[in-house]
Amino acid sequence: MIEAIPLDHVVLVATTLFGIGLYGVLSRRNAVAILMAIELMLNAVNINFIAFSMYVSPDPTVGQIIAVFVITVAAAEVALGLAIVLQIFRNKSNINVDDLDLLRW
Amino acid sequence: MNGSDFAFLLPEIVLVATAITVWAVDFFTPRDRKPDLAWPAAAGALVAMAFLAISWGEHREMFLGTLRLDNFSLFFRFLFLTVAFFVIVGSPGYVRRKLRNAGEFYGLILMSTVGAMGIVSSREFLTAYISLELVAFGFYVLVSHARHEARSNEAGAKYLILGAFSSGLLLFGISLIFGATGSTGYAAIAAALETTPDFGMVWTLGVALVLAGLGFKVAAFPFHSWAPDVYEGAPLPITAFLSVGSKAAGFAFLIRLFAEGLFPVLDDWRVAIGVVAVLTMTFGNLVAIQQANLKRLLAYSSIAQAGYILVGVATLNADTTSGMLLHIAGYTATNLGAFLVVIYFHNLTGKEGIDDLRGLYRRSFLLTLVLAVSLLSLAGMPLFAGFMTKFYLFTAAAASQLWWLIALAVANSILSVYYYLLVLRQAFITPESEEEEQRPAFRLPSHARATLSLLMVLVLWIGIYPSVFVDAAEAGSRALFGG
Amino acid sequence: MASYLPLLVASVAAIGFVGVALGLGFLLAPQQFSRLKRTIYECGMESTGGGWRQVHIRYYLMAILFVIFAVEGIFLFPWAAVLGEIGTFAFVEMLVFMSILFFGLIYAWRKGAFEWR
Repeated sequence: MIEAIPLDHVVLVATTLFGIGLYGVLSRRNAVAILMAIELMLNAVNINFIAFSMYVSPDPTVGQIIAVFVITVAAAEVALGLAIVLQIFRNKSNINVDDLDLLRW
Repeated sequence: MNGSDFAFLLPEIVLVATAITVWAVDFFTPRDRKPDLAWPAAAGALVAMAFLAISWGEHREMFLGTLRLDNFSLFFRFLFLTVAFFVIVGSPGYVRRKLRNAGEFYGLILMSTVGAMGIVSSREFLTAYISLELVAFGFYVLVSHARHEARSNEAGAKYLILGAFSSGLLLFGISLIFGATGSTGYAAIAAALETTPDFGMVWTLGVALVLAGLGFKVAAFPFHSWAPDVYEGAPLPITAFLSVGSKAAGFAFLIRLFAEGLFPVLDDWRVAIGVVAVLTMTFGNLVAIQQANLKRLLAYSSIAQAGYILVGVATLNADTTSGMLLHIAGYTATNLGAFLVVIYFHNLTGKEGIDDLRGLYRRSFLLTLVLAVSLLSLAGMPLFAGFMTKFYLFTAAAASQLWWLIALAVANSILSVYYYLLVLRQAFITPESEEEEQRPAFRLPSHARATLSLLMVLVLWIGIYPSVFVDAAEAGSRALFGG
Repeated sequence: MASYLPLLVASVAAIGFVGVALGLGFLLAPQQFSRLKRTIYECGMESTGGGWRQVHIRYYLMAILFVIFAVEGIFLFPWAAVLGEIGTFAFVEMLVFMSILFFGLIYAWRKGAFEWR
């Protein structure tokens, strides 16, 4: 039997992933790329929940249930995001966030 | 869990059923009749309100302790239904002029309301989070609902990106709190904090991220930047709904979380929240002074109002909680009044600048009166709701001995009078040009007169004889703090 | 670190196998190139256009509608696994959930979300 991966390794991976997502949201200028970066952040959350529920929680299913919900919410969020991006594209053929300048950012 | 739990969710079930019915009926309604779907939707909100009476005075844990019905949730659920009712009743004129898919519009308002009602009842992070997203998803669509207006699209995109980003922060914070305490239930978290008072860095980071995520939702400084843009770009009724409904939902989340889950560690965070409160209200007020657009002015003013409510969160105890509930109720009635005036004014003129208000006094006495009452109440003048509720909130907060906080809050409140009076000067005093004097008086539809008068009476009622509302707020706060 | 040894062995074996297989293929197979061979493989149909064409943004909407309904499926698996223990009530609840989804699908269809405008 191989010993399990220690908790801090998993949390480190999740935190790094979250950091990459955070960086992506702040640095990318393309709306679709930002949505992808947000997706990374949410996946980091999922890793965290599953790892914590295995090591810390008295009931190991809690984190998994939360992860299922987070996945669903993330899918819906991206769907809405793409629909709105599509609408902007129809109106002005451009999805660069910097060009969303009718309202002061 | 048992089936009878569902009886207490009847208001929510009625709202969902109404929303789905409105969407279905929308298919079979000719285009020019669609705006009238507002009436069945509003009726659904009223029926839900009637069903809310079942849970009067009821305290129960439902669905394995994920939801809790008590007077606190009852207070807010009633508030949200009222908000939904007024927003829906106020929108048909605007919808007829600007929006295409009216059925979708009203149905989504109802669904967002369901989400808000879920937030206030849930005492567990996952349930609260899902409800929060239900509110937010409704709003993402509603904000960008004027499909062919680039401004509305942009506002929707900004709101969605920042909203999704903030819920990412919130969720990561929740996952860290879950990692530290091993639970997502507020009661279990509080119990874990009793035995282990310090969980170290993971815990601190977790709470900080949760606060940041919720700070976005209530538009607190430095997470306010989305608010003015989104408020300006969104369809007007939705701006009204955002400024009261979404904000109140965020605060309800914060209050229940701190009262039931994080209360043992609240003392570590009081000063930080207090600083955020002061920055929020100062920023909101200073920027509001420079605004020329009525919508943007009300947006910044609502940022400032969030700052006042945060004073209550920073000094959280039983008294300040009832203060906050009272203030939120007063602010809701007041802001709805102000926004309904802007909506009807926009319907009649197509304008929303402060300059455009010139001669309003001559053209519609009722609009001017309601605008004056609302703005004076927002400014915190005596006799109006704003004064009474702020007075109650700040007096309760003073017991915490955070004098700098109270002093700055009062100073801000006085500062804000200036820009509200600037608006009223346009409406009352600034003379019209000769050409403008030829413009005819406004004719408001009768339902507009009724809702405007109703809100004005409500604002004055809370301002002059608030005992009913104080009792309700205190009952709500007792549900969280016992006694 | 000893626990990572199997991982190392597995990686070496995997890389080795792929390397050997490709290398042998490169050495042993007859090398004949023709234009037809270099075209993109599309399930045996005749291919049209290049492989690096940008996907039109409208494609996302279709894809995402599919993803939403597919993701809702993850609620079905845990439910199906324990259906025997949790009984009729959970069955009815899932029917309600599915009918709401079904309504959503009909709604999207009637609104013309699947039209390629």
